[in-house]
Amino acid sequence: MTAPRRPAGSRAGASTSGATRRAWIATLSAAVALATCPALGALPGPVSPQPNLSVIAPAPDFRLVDSDGRQVRLSDFRGRAVLLAFVFTSCPGVCPLISHQMAGLQTALKRDGTFGGKAVLLSVTVDPETDTAAVLQQYAKRYRADSSGWKFLRESPERIRAVLDTYKEWTRPLPAGTIDHPARVYLVDPRGNIREIYSLSFFNETQAEIDVRAVLAEPDADAR
Amino acid sequence: MRPLSKFSLRVLSFATVALLAGPAVEAPAETCLSPYIKTLTEPEKILYLWALPGTPGEGEDFLAVIDVDLASASYGKVLKRVHVGSVGNEAHHMGYTDDRSRIWAASLNSNRFFIFDVRTDPRNPKLVRVVDDVAKVSGLSGPHTPYAIPGRILVSMASGPDGTGPGGIAEFTNDGDFVASHKTPDHPYETVIKPEFNRMITSSWVSQKTFESKPSDWDPKDFSHTLQVWDLKSRKIIQELEGDPIALAARWALKPGARYGYNISSGGNSIWNFKLGDDGLFTYRKAADVGRNCHPADLRQSPDDKYLYVSCFAGREIQAWDITDPEHIRLHDTVQGVVQPNMMHVTFDGQRLYFTNSAISTIDYSPNYSLQLIQIGPDGRLKLDPNFKIDFSKAPDGPTRPHDMLLN
Repeated sequence: MTAPRRPAGSRAGASTSGATRRAWIATLSAAVALATCPALGALPGPVSPQPNLSVIAPAPDFRLVDSDGRQVRLSDFRGRAVLLAFVFTSCPGVCPLISHQMAGLQTALKRDGTFGGKAVLLSVTVDPETDTAAVLQQYAKRYRADSSGWKFLRESPERIRAVLDTYKEWTRPLPAGTIDHPARVYLVDPRGNIREIYSLSFFNETQAEIDVRAVLAEPDADAR
Repeated sequence: MRPLSKFSLRVLSFATVALLAGPAVEAPAETCLSPYIKTLTEPEKILYLWALPGTPGEGEDFLAVIDVDLASASYGKVLKRVHVGSVGNEAHHMGYTDDRSRIWAASLNSNRFFIFDVRTDPRNPKLVRVVDDVAKVSGLSGPHTPYAIPGRILVSMASGPDGTGPGGIAEFTNDGDFVASHKTPDHPYETVIKPEFNRMITSSWVSQKTFESKPSDWDPKDFSHTLQVWDLKSRKIIQELEGDPIALAARWALKPGARYGYNISSGGNSIWNFKLGDDGLFTYRKAADVGRNCHPADLRQSPDDKYLYVSCFAGREIQAWDITDPEHIRLHDTVQGVVQPNMMHVTFDGQRLYFTNSAISTIDYSPNYSLQLIQIGPDGRLKLDPNFKIDFSKAPDGPTRPHDMLLN
């Protein structure tokens, strides 16, 4: 798939117009359609160019702290699409893969300046005792996370528990010293509604990019 | 192009291994559940049973907790019954949420969902919510099988809000809040999903008005003959597969990337094979006849994709089919003399198969209700376990019809 050329005058990190986003999603959808549409005679893959993104529920707001010590509220990102993942840095299972995929998504969203300005990635630790600010900084560095649009969040165990509870993100220590948890990723639209829930095990960054661009292309996406 | 760093190479290697190994979850184990559900990877300790009174309308349906821990002194005993607080529901199918924290138990006749917390204390489930306005909010009735997707439940609904006409798939949050309805041209029975192809298949049976009546009153014109193939992500039907009537349970082969699966037709006494072709379209053909008097009620599978298990509700036997060659399946073994066998559940290791023997109160023909166990040998042979049988014809609250099961 070839990325469309960035429009003249645009820059990484800057907001793009609704027309640009719509053009992007049309291009991306067409490219994915060529690869996935059975009517065109191809074996389908895991990605669909036309996602159904019903409003699932209002996303519970929270206030956490990023790895630089700054307070971050989910509602700070009204008007932007947010991809919210629950991970922990010592996870031996799917978490490294999901962080790698989010790094890929960061790259994809940077191509037209959607990253940061219109779309934000949030990785919330479910293991704040291990995942100190310093550990999260190192983890972010490992995945080349650009802090202008990808933040790693934590809080004290007591405070973060309340946030995890609102997302039904329970945790259970396992004998091997790791943590069992529901391992979901949430897509929150610019109006603060949950529009998709992904399983970490089946997360596909191409689909996530299509979904992010789809909610940004909605007519009232700029309304905060 | 910039060379990859050592770390990038490590991540890439991990990702490659993970992708080659399929979804980054434990190997397929507990069969016939949604692939999004956390899997059970150790011998079961508890069996949850969704049951209803022997006399419809008299007494409450309940979720029973049964000890199936071989090391337990109370092995094979009912530990607890959690009643639902209302009558006339017709307990039928149930399903776990994706995180295995809750059980959604559906009632065929009253259009209710009973949501039980089984994570806080698995031996003491707690009824945390009753969703009793399902037909009103979804425009659909006759809830059959709850099926987990991330953070949500899809429920196959047999018919329109008044119990007649085509049904659809109702989508709810795990907490029981309505999200959306997706209409179908038939009467949905069950759902299976293969995430790697973004495909969902729904089978179909009859409307709520029909299954609430006696079989002698059933009008064949109301029988569905179809599977619907969906683009899961877009929630759109993209192909209809037509076969024998009353296409009940459907199972997708478990191997990552497997393009085929099977379903049973109760009306046609047959097993059908659906298969995804290189052109992205499915073919659908009869794979086997199960016997004229079988009237299959449930279809289960072994974790290694070698066997299918068919309960013959009328034929009083449970069949094992060898599907090692998916194009030429053959009858491998049977357990005979079991009365009105219905729902089955195969354990994570493929070595045990629990089964109940009540379908729905309008079509049961024997009051000898029970939960029994079949041991499955390494050669796929079946043997009824003489040491495990719970007799529900003489339960403390009176005769009880046992139907669906989940293990924990």
